[in-house]
Amino acid sequence: MKRREILKSAGIVTAAALTGPFFHVRPARADQGELVVVSWGGDYDTALREYVLSAFERATGFTVKLDAPPETAKVKAMVQSGKVSWDVIMTDTPAVQALVKDNLLEPIDYAAVDKAKLARIPRELQQPYALGQRIYSFNIVYNTNLMPKAKHTRNWAEVWDAKNFPGGRTFNFQGGTAPQLEAALLADGVPVDKLYPLDIERAWRMMDKLRPIVTKWYTSHAQAIQLLSAGEVAVGNTIGPRGIAAKKQGAPIDVEYNQGKLASDNWCLVKGVRNKKIAMEFINTALDPKMQAQIAQKVPYGPSNTGAFEFLSAQEAADLATSPENIKQQFWWNTDWWSTPGPDGKTPRESQGERFAKWMLS
Amino acid sequence: MTRAARFWRSREGALVLPALVFYVLVYVYPLSRIAGWSFFDPDFTLKFYREVLAEPAYFKALGNTLEISVLVTLTSLLLGYPLAYLMTTTTARARRVVTVLILVPFWTSVLVRTFAWLVILGRNGLVNRLLLDVGLVDAPQKLLFNMFGVQVGMVQVLLPFMVFPLYGVMSRIDLNVVRVARSLGAPPRKVFLHVFLPLSMPGVAAGCILVFLLAIGFYVTPALLGGPGQITLATMIDMMITTFLNFGFAATLGIVLLVVVAGIFAAVSALLGLNRIVGGGSAQ
Repeated sequence: MKRREILKSAGIVTAAALTGPFFHVRPARADQGELVVVSWGGDYDTALREYVLSAFERATGFTVKLDAPPETAKVKAMVQSGKVSWDVIMTDTPAVQALVKDNLLEPIDYAAVDKAKLARIPRELQQPYALGQRIYSFNIVYNTNLMPKAKHTRNWAEVWDAKNFPGGRTFNFQGGTAPQLEAALLADGVPVDKLYPLDIERAWRMMDKLRPIVTKWYTSHAQAIQLLSAGEVAVGNTIGPRGIAAKKQGAPIDVEYNQGKLASDNWCLVKGVRNKKIAMEFINTALDPKMQAQIAQKVPYGPSNTGAFEFLSAQEAADLATSPENIKQQFWWNTDWWSTPGPDGKTPRESQGERFAKWMLS
Repeated sequence: MTRAARFWRSREGALVLPALVFYVLVYVYPLSRIAGWSFFDPDFTLKFYREVLAEPAYFKALGNTLEISVLVTLTSLLLGYPLAYLMTTTTARARRVVTVLILVPFWTSVLVRTFAWLVILGRNGLVNRLLLDVGLVDAPQKLLFNMFGVQVGMVQVLLPFMVFPLYGVMSRIDLNVVRVARSLGAPPRKVFLHVFLPLSMPGVAAGCILVFLLAIGFYVTPALLGGPGQITLATMIDMMITTFLNFGFAATLGIVLLVVVAGIFAAVSALLGLNRIVGGGSAQ
């Protein structure tokens, strides 16, 4: 990611140096008539361009330029230097909270979004500075050869139970993802509605029990999928849509939605967005149920607008985190709890992250 | 004119200057910035160092790092010495073949080679399939996510750094000395132990220092092929930066590692005589 950044900026510098005397090189964001949208790249951006951007450009006459990835540090540098070249970004909730804390976002103008669309978007996704676009969850993802579908782990207690459900496990470590304390508490029998505030000590006692059956604490979600596809482990906790994408490519992988932790990537307006009206118009377009359904057919992230499922078959819906059947088995990740500082001034995200590293080395 | 001024006007000074400027720009300056981060937040403070010293987890990570590096160095020496010896004593043609075989893996990135080990050493990997088919084991062996996997992955990458310094020194050993010892009736074992091995020691020291220093800073291979017992200080530094955005603490861990390595280096040089090793590329 970093290296690509460097190469890219090196390329821009070189291009600017070469063309400088002959052309007036314009910054990434044009004056009027152009909107810069920043997402995570890859297949999702391809689908976004195909279904949303083309329609938006036809309807408004504006051109949309896609950029990636929406790095928090970059937004901060832009806003502070007063040279904002991004208008709309799509990023995860922890990033949104960090940006809001530093006053780097513009509030969402809910009056500019169709009422009919808002009515179909879960309340949890409608935040003052962020509006959900694509939904994923941290799920029980398993290898179908090592755990036949009829006998796979259906809840976290069974994932913790290596006697009746043999095979290696994989959970995250490093890579910025918080320790899966919610899964640990659910495995210990805490009911979903009593999960937050998390009973931290109880969760770590369950982590102690998990440790001996973990084959590998993965460093990236891509590695988790590799370990699961290769049969290196039988089951793990990782991002469901990545498991579904692997399954669609023929890997012996499937996703159990029960007790999954729902999370979202959200639309945000960068502070200093030049044309807030047209930026909101773009977000409103992206929340279109039919377009979200078309994107979901290409990239298996859950649409935030549940109206999308009227355009999807039952089979397609079964592989999406927000389908009526799947969403009711899962719970929303309480990112407020994770980002509220404790008595020592540290957020649980920080203090539990540090504890995670020390625990791993103990 | 002072001695220093005379030096910079001399031929030696002119030859050293470009390298010195480069070294100051890309090494001394960034390093001093990092050292600065570890002492300031934003005023002068020793809190990062106090925190590191108070936390056993970082000692554990440091211990893991040193353990991995020492083992990798010894394994590379055991595998590399015979190879370098073969290169020294064989025909020029065979030497070329061996050299190419050692260099070919350099054309592939460390990351790709590390990922390849995941396929080769996995539960359903080539090695386990073979062991199971031959009947040597009746269940897949755990070859990954432990010290074994890390050793295989790192030695494979670092072996050339052991072989070439060894070969460089061995190739300059006068083989007539060996022949004289033989003709005077010394058995091959004695010739090796009392003549060839002592003469090759500078190469052993150079190779070991090179491999050890490179191993200390390895990040990708222990992270991908290791388990919790192989969490290194490099991993902790990465976490401090990417997860916690705590640059001061990461810098402190880096400086601690640097000081420890410098200490080891000083101890080894006091013990073996570093001048002889570094300056003594020739076997005279």
